[in-house]
Amino acid sequence: MQLKRVVITGMGAVTPLGVGCEALRLGLAQQRSATVSMRNQWQHFINLHSLVAAPAPDLNEKEIPRQNRRSMSRMSFYGYEAARQALADAFGDVVAGLAHFASGRLGCIIGSTTGSPIALNETFEIMLPDRDISKLNAVKFFQCVSHTAAMNVAQCLGLTGTVLATNAACASGLQAAGAAYDLVRLGTQDAVLCGGAEELHPSVTGSFDVMFAASARYNDSPSDTPRPFDRDRDGIVCGEGSGILLLEDYDHARARGAKIYAEVIGYHTCASGDHISQSNRPALMQCLRQALASACVAPDQIDYVNAHAAGTPQGDTEEAAAIREIFGDRAPVSSLKGNLSHTLGASGPIELIATLMMMQEGVIYPTLNLQNPSPDCDGIQHVTKPLAKPLTTIIKNSFAFGGINSALVCRKV
Amino acid sequence: MKTPLQKSMEKQQVATRIATIFETEFEVAPERLIPEAHLFQDLGLDSIDIVEMMVALQKEFGITLRDSDEARAIRTLNDLYDFVLNEIGKAKSGEGSAPQP
Repeated sequence: MQLKRVVITGMGAVTPLGVGCEALRLGLAQQRSATVSMRNQWQHFINLHSLVAAPAPDLNEKEIPRQNRRSMSRMSFYGYEAARQALADAFGDVVAGLAHFASGRLGCIIGSTTGSPIALNETFEIMLPDRDISKLNAVKFFQCVSHTAAMNVAQCLGLTGTVLATNAACASGLQAAGAAYDLVRLGTQDAVLCGGAEELHPSVTGSFDVMFAASARYNDSPSDTPRPFDRDRDGIVCGEGSGILLLEDYDHARARGAKIYAEVIGYHTCASGDHISQSNRPALMQCLRQALASACVAPDQIDYVNAHAAGTPQGDTEEAAAIREIFGDRAPVSSLKGNLSHTLGASGPIELIATLMMMQEGVIYPTLNLQNPSPDCDGIQHVTKPLAKPLTTIIKNSFAFGGINSALVCRKV
Repeated sequence: MKTPLQKSMEKQQVATRIATIFETEFEVAPERLIPEAHLFQDLGLDSIDIVEMMVALQKEFGITLRDSDEARAIRTLNDLYDFVLNEIGKAKSGEGSAPQP
């Protein structure tokens, strides 16, 4: 069976740096940090040590018809906005984009760490005081389910293709792109809107906090954290938003004269099978090597590594070691989490979108807050200031709790 | 025994409180909330909305509602006013939970 070539023809994003891909590009070009203090909002949570986060802008969700909006939470609003942007980017406008596909041929895969944490919180607030479920709203369930973003975006757009939710915490969004790649290259779908969506909530930051994985030393200077690969890094900062890509059959895209950002040429996801929270360099290396092998690309053909590096002491060390083992110091490496913080399940696609924009511009955006590269992250080519370089082939990493690893390889067409 | 005027006033009060629910929960413009309005055809509600409406009515009137033939027979706002009045009456007479003041 001849596999189809898969290309990226549309991109959309809502990120802590703003609404739209251009806001993302501008924020990175200006080296802005999106991290802000959450002291006023979160200080009433006892023993929550991390009082920083990277919120995305509020959207005007009232523009969405009520019967679609009622089952949506913040992450679905973000996913829907990003999906609309991706369609508009690919086709000029959303309606034209939707009209282009035969019934059942446009899919939607969106991952997130959990269903809406805000809705889950509200559900238990309603239900637990009196142990009474009669006050529960009917629509709350549709915000709590793990596929809330995927199903709501698909509903709002009237899609009848394959709808999936790849829920694997911080690897969710890149796994969505990987799953979409498989569906399109197998010919199951002509195109798939894919990516991740997340929303901020103190329970999310708190979950990292109790594991000593959230940044807690920079509450008075939020823009100094997170600090990927830096000597003084102390953990992640949670963010929110959505990144959505349109992955399309290359022949389909060519036939309509589409603008093509890049071709997806390889992907791999695997488990570490070792520890529920600790990154494991042999498993990361296996993931990267398998992704390169599936792309038929040698390590020295990679022009840039967009790292997962979220600013945790252990995770960054293991990723740097895996990159060093495979790429040495030849390939430039940066993490965009210094700017964007960690948008968890949305981080993979958001950072992939940023990488594709770097590819267009021929410039690599550096790792913000990387002032003193940590000795345990040494031996790789850190990018600490904007670096002009033509990019032909890139690899994007996303790693998650649960020992879940993923990597995607793209090449300029 | 209530006089016709008392009954009319009571129904008007229920209608006003129900109107608030429809305006806030279902974003229906007040001018569309006429007694003859059909919940599905005229006001655009669907099955999920009916569940939301029941939850909201329970909160608003302090009554406990169950799926019943009477509930399933509701078609118009006027049907709904009568249904709620009946449920309040049942609650007061001890057939259901006591309504909130």
